[in-house]
Amino acid sequence: MKKTQILIVGAGPAGLCAAIEAARAGAKAFIIDENSKPGGQLFKQIHKFFGSYEHRAGVRGYAIGTDLLRETEELGVEVILNAPVYGLFRHDGGMMVSYMKDGREKAILAEKIILATGAAENALAFPGGTLPGVMGAGCAQTMINVNRVLPGGKIIMIGSGNVGLIVAYQLLQAGAEVSALIEAAPFIGGYGVHASKIRRAGTPIFVSHTIERALGKTRVDAVEIVRLDESFQPVPGARRVIEADTVCLAVGLSPLTELAWMAGCDFTWIPQLGGHIPIHNENMETTIPGLYAAGDITGSEEASTAMEEGRLAGIAAAEALGLTAERAKDIKLEVWARMNALRTGPFGQKRFEAKAQLLESAKGAAR
Amino acid sequence: MSMTADAAIIGGGVIGASIAYRLAKAGKKVVLCERYDFAAGATGSCDQCVFLQSKNPGIHLKLALDSSAIFQDLSKELDYTIDYFKHGGMITIENEMEMAVMSDFAEKQKKIGLDVEIISRAEAAKRQRGLAGHLLGCTYSPQDGHVNPFKLTLGFVKAAQKHGALILIDAEVFGFKLESGRIKGIKTSKGDVEAGVTVLAAGAWSPVLAKTLDLALPIKPRRGQIVITEPVAPYVTGNLLSGQYIVAKYHPEILADSKSLAVRLGVGLSLTQTSKGDILIGATREFAGYDLRNTREAIREILKNASRLVPGLEDLHVIRVMAGLRPYTPDGLPLVGFVKDREGLFIAAGHEGDGIALSAITGVIARGLICDGKAYTDVSALDPNRFDA
Repeated sequence: MKKTQILIVGAGPAGLCAAIEAARAGAKAFIIDENSKPGGQLFKQIHKFFGSYEHRAGVRGYAIGTDLLRETEELGVEVILNAPVYGLFRHDGGMMVSYMKDGREKAILAEKIILATGAAENALAFPGGTLPGVMGAGCAQTMINVNRVLPGGKIIMIGSGNVGLIVAYQLLQAGAEVSALIEAAPFIGGYGVHASKIRRAGTPIFVSHTIERALGKTRVDAVEIVRLDESFQPVPGARRVIEADTVCLAVGLSPLTELAWMAGCDFTWIPQLGGHIPIHNENMETTIPGLYAAGDITGSEEASTAMEEGRLAGIAAAEALGLTAERAKDIKLEVWARMNALRTGPFGQKRFEAKAQLLESAKGAAR
Repeated sequence: MSMTADAAIIGGGVIGASIAYRLAKAGKKVVLCERYDFAAGATGSCDQCVFLQSKNPGIHLKLALDSSAIFQDLSKELDYTIDYFKHGGMITIENEMEMAVMSDFAEKQKKIGLDVEIISRAEAAKRQRGLAGHLLGCTYSPQDGHVNPFKLTLGFVKAAQKHGALILIDAEVFGFKLESGRIKGIKTSKGDVEAGVTVLAAGAWSPVLAKTLDLALPIKPRRGQIVITEPVAPYVTGNLLSGQYIVAKYHPEILADSKSLAVRLGVGLSLTQTSKGDILIGATREFAGYDLRNTREAIREILKNASRLVPGLEDLHVIRVMAGLRPYTPDGLPLVGFVKDREGLFIAAGHEGDGIALSAITGVIARGLICDGKAYTDVSALDPNRFDA
């Protein structure tokens, strides 16, 4: 059976950064990912990142992804692709990750494991919700930005968070018509700068509205929307039908926590971060010693924070192996400073508070 | 909150629920306390089978037959659809040793009243697609069936509630109330329950509670791991067991010297398909304490064994695994009855892999012993005091 010092599940921004820090510290690191290419969601992010210089602001996601891949390659990190991890087990006092590769079942023993599994898009239940043409916004984003395929001609976007706003704009850029953007809350969820771009392009944004049903026999032909009152109840008579062939759902993400559950991690419930989150400390270590979590699995944020959390987990895991003990402390302080800077402002503050709550629960968790 | 009842029942698995229903229907005031939720233990992590052929000829099979008779009209009786289906079942026979064991087993079962025969591989293949070529044949009984264990438990619970039973979930039982040496109910996280009879139906966890009374029960948790596939169109006809299971259960001496990992884990095929289409592939029988985790070696051995016997399964995707702790007893029979020297305590636990199949009759036996002082038939073989030195 293969053996490694540090095993990372997920080759997205968090996983790649974890591997880079671990390898820089001198640890032998492996990354496993179920996709055919590494990079997670980075390669479909064609927009420029926010933040300051050290957060790579102004750089587009795929360029950051390319840099990270080059760095992992230079550091000799082994990346196993097309390999879905299905289990995390105890084995002879250590940990073992099992996965499928080329139709065979395999396993790797690891001294430390970092879960950087990311998150999955939430679905929304409504009549017609299973018709062809209804999809996650992230799915539509992959289609246009990675596969270069337009999901449809007339699109309704549900959800006005940054994912909904950015993907709506990218769909417009790709040549689709975005007929409307629907938001159940009485205000737009994401950044004003993104919303303005969509409005300038002529797409109406309906706040206090929700989708009633998707109409169509074999695929989506139209969408019926309805206005909501202050208590989110449909206003009778305030319905309208909009022609559309595609409905994109941008209604939040849920952390992919299956492996953390399987390992027996303690969890806490923080809705702002996407629901059940494995409790972790300031080293990103969960309540299972030697098992770390980083990125969207610890609460949905942006790639910039995922990368910082990955660095933190990578350096902490290496430190726990007895490597880079001197430098580790400084690097961790730098990472925390950058991460706290990212979690400021009207949007960042809520996440800052939610993350503080998560760290607080680590202190209470039985070890 | 303090409650009073004729019977306090510990455990919201299928056994506790079945007893709650029978006692409530007989006019008893019942309070049932469940630590987590209904069917949260072995009931909710089993293979759904109501298998008669797997029962030892004797009282074991007789009770299973009587239980099966109740299942026929239970949906109607409970006014709740429990998804019981009698599609028949087969046990695979791989070699001469198994053929000898199964022929003898089936002969004895016939005498108890089970409709069972040995059929050729060709006949078996007509009933079940994808069977391995090396099989010598199968036993077949049209009387085997399966039931949705969640619906069965909920059906008993809802019917018990209609008859006035108070059913509490998220109600952990901490211990027993004692009064001059007599057990007078239970202490729970939702308050004390004062009761004339306390029914311990906590499956593999029963010995933990019994220990607070200095009572050593001969029940041990035995882990059964099960693999679940994606939902697919109907594939498994009725239920399928492997002869290895019967040999391991009733003739362990034959396998005593085996060095095989599968034998060590107690792997025997059980194959059944839910109404939704998921195929349940079992199972192991391991002593691993109260460890409920799945293990990689067990998942691999279960799947290897299943695809060896039914190669047609190989193309399916596995979506989930689960493990349950079956309450093992040394003689393979449950403990059902009043406990000697612990006045007021009634036990109904230790059904190991037969909890679903025997659930219906266990409720009837418990009602008989508690309400009338005797069951409908001689159940001295289930006497919980039978292991006392």
